[in-house]
Amino acid sequence: MPMFQVKPVCGGDVKIDLPTCMYKLPNVHAQQGNSCSSEHALQNGEVDPAVKVLEARQDEILRKLYELKAAVEGLAKTVNTPDADLDVTVSSSFSSQSSSSTMLKGSTDLDTLLGKDLGALRDIVINANPAQPPVTLLVLHSLLCQRYQVLSTVHVHSSVSNVSPQLLSCLGPRHPDSYARHLFQLGFTLIWKDVPKLEMKFSVRNMCPIEGEANVARFLFKLLAPYPSDHAAATLVDSWVDTAFFQLAEGSTKERAAVLRALNSALGRSTWTAGPEFSLADVACYCCVLRSGSAASVPANVQRWIKACENLGHFGPAKLLLQ
Amino acid sequence: MTKEGVQGVTEEEQQAQSKKALKKQQKEAEKAAKKAEKQAKLAAEQQSTDEDDFAKDRYGVSVMVQSQQKLDRVLVRVQDLTPEKADQLIWLRARIHTSRAKGKQCFLVLRQQQFNVQALVAVGDRASKQMVKFAANINKESIVDVEAVVRKVEQKIESCSQQDVELHIERIFVISQAEPRLPLQLEDAIRPDGEGEEEGRATVNQDTRLDNRVIDLRTTTSQAIFRLQSGVCQLFRDTLTKKGFVEIQTPKIISAASEGGANVFTVSYFKTSAYLAQSPQLYKQMCICADFDKVFCVGPVFRAEDSNTHRHLTEFVGLDIEMAFNYHYHEVIDSITDTMVQIFKGLRDNFQTEIQTVNKQFPSEPFKFLEPTLRLEYTEAVAMLHEAGVEMGDEDDLSTPNEKLLGRLVKEKYDTDFYVLDKYPLAVRPFYTMPDPNNPKYSNSYDMFMRGEEILSGAQRVHDPELLTERALHHQIDLEKIKSYIDSFRYGAPPHGGGGIGLERVCMLYLGLHNVRQTSMFPRDPKRLTP
Repeated sequence: MPMFQVKPVCGGDVKIDLPTCMYKLPNVHAQQGNSCSSEHALQNGEVDPAVKVLEARQDEILRKLYELKAAVEGLAKTVNTPDADLDVTVSSSFSSQSSSSTMLKGSTDLDTLLGKDLGALRDIVINANPAQPPVTLLVLHSLLCQRYQVLSTVHVHSSVSNVSPQLLSCLGPRHPDSYARHLFQLGFTLIWKDVPKLEMKFSVRNMCPIEGEANVARFLFKLLAPYPSDHAAATLVDSWVDTAFFQLAEGSTKERAAVLRALNSALGRSTWTAGPEFSLADVACYCCVLRSGSAASVPANVQRWIKACENLGHFGPAKLLLQ
Repeated sequence: MTKEGVQGVTEEEQQAQSKKALKKQQKEAEKAAKKAEKQAKLAAEQQSTDEDDFAKDRYGVSVMVQSQQKLDRVLVRVQDLTPEKADQLIWLRARIHTSRAKGKQCFLVLRQQQFNVQALVAVGDRASKQMVKFAANINKESIVDVEAVVRKVEQKIESCSQQDVELHIERIFVISQAEPRLPLQLEDAIRPDGEGEEEGRATVNQDTRLDNRVIDLRTTTSQAIFRLQSGVCQLFRDTLTKKGFVEIQTPKIISAASEGGANVFTVSYFKTSAYLAQSPQLYKQMCICADFDKVFCVGPVFRAEDSNTHRHLTEFVGLDIEMAFNYHYHEVIDSITDTMVQIFKGLRDNFQTEIQTVNKQFPSEPFKFLEPTLRLEYTEAVAMLHEAGVEMGDEDDLSTPNEKLLGRLVKEKYDTDFYVLDKYPLAVRPFYTMPDPNNPKYSNSYDMFMRGEEILSGAQRVHDPELLTERALHHQIDLEKIKSYIDSFRYGAPPHGGGGIGLERVCMLYLGLHNVRQTSMFPRDPKRLTP
């Protein structure tokens, strides 16, 4: 039994002449060539007003179509790859909240994520070694600034000396309200310190320090968007993050090339590394590709994706540090 | 009968006595004979030694230096004795740190401040047996002039600061002799904490040390502590001078107590009485009103607090800062914290040997800090304490244990031993503290902490006479007593703020010591007025 029935496309009156073809369509060009209008024009030397109206209508429709196309393209750019001309500075984050909300879906609540508000600034402290600046965290910081009121401060620990001014200003200029800590929702305190492994401290009583840039990045990204509820998707993001940090950043040339190939094919299938949405995988992979110094010789899809990432406007400080 | 009896007894006694006396005389005669014999022997020995002591003008007790002559002799410093000086004949003045005679040779350790070197006198063509004996018998801590040849050594001398060379003494003269019995031994005074108890060795009590401060100050630890303290002062002055501050001197005898009337020392002042300044605050503020813009002063401060704790002194050195600011009192905090950070950096970079020396006796973790300094708000501190299970009100002052606990919490999270706590509740601060413009419960005031102990307390001061009067009335202070203070703001006063640091406390906490008396050269506390 057939699953469903379709009405015959052609009417029953169509005559089938040739047994080798299933059906035959009249020749469009032949018909046009035979149409009266062109014949008319040629014969009389002047165009029929009806045709003129028709032509005008067609032009109008085409113009409208072009307009629509441009509008859609523009929209597509802001959705997937917002133009680089959009606001890229970190400091003006409070004004340009729209682009982030379109990029990262899902609402997050600091109270549920970080525990009850005790009436004081929730301060995330990150100890990083100036020899290995945690660029992914800088990108995430920039994203956090769009979502929350973040008090960003950079300190130098006494265990290190001579930290470059670039590292001291990596979180952007000082916020004009920074004298009043209680006005902020979140504190982002970066301390340049002689530590073997990057570590993050939040609540020293209830939480052990988080070690490693990848793990801290996971923690911070959860403040921006909830992890995908789909476990497969979540695992995919996780595996890309690990791939980025272990193979892309620290791996051998061979490993790196393999990862770039895999990344290229993944980006051939979807807009972003781990599916149709921008995720932590993109942040991690972008930073690690740049850190590995192979940004110039990457495959085409990766090249396109790097451009798209940069157009988001949050990778500026990271790129500056990596160059 | 009784008389006779008595007589009889006395006779007998006399007889007995005479017998005893005889015996005694005999004995004495024997003794004298022995003595004479001994003396003769000694004299003979002396003679013989004098005769064959070829080196007798190479040692001795020199006459008291009364500036009889001006020698052009160059004296080498112990710290300059390096292998480059090997095989040179040099002159040196130092103290006898230890001496150890061993047959025909005598090992001395010569000390100069925190540096010491091993020296050797051995019987040979330069030194006689008598010279070795003389060297071995010089009292410890005596000052000697020594002529010696510098020699490289095969094995490092672990016990001395100059490990690669030793001195072979050719001449030795005592310049100033020390008493044979010292009130305390230097080795005991520098024995690390706790080690003495374990091995049953002697340690020196704090009071013994302070009673004999001159000897205690000779120890390497004390030398290092006070060199570091001088460094703190120097860095404080240099940093602030560079920032455009002016050093001022303020009077220490004052007519009225600057903060209320409690804990000030009263001194008689001709027909009336006066007080010893418990802070130069009023004078610092008057200098600001007199357009000095930024001032600091270093001077003694007196507190008549009868508290016998590890961190209170009745007289200490105050390092005080006061400055006018433009718009926000955080400008003041930034200036002070930066000064402190510069001090810490200077100490870290230039006083590492001193820090190591003190650490040998009093081990502690190195002092950690952040630049720029961490600033927390009072509410945050209270929240952190609440989280740790401490029950306290939002507007309560920090108790000493809570202060310590907070220090530990901050250290755990931020890994810094120095931080600022900002925005104290108005209720716990003095009347001249500027209230917070947004929340009347709080104030524009701050404390700074080192290793969890408060070292500085400061605030934006009220510079408006009306508000000041109001605040004083609120604190129920007699306006008559502080009239001159309020009046100094009547002729236009710039907004300003400041604070004061205790030098001794800063040194103590920087080095991780446990008693402020260790960092005060001649400490004054409720129980001690000498030396």
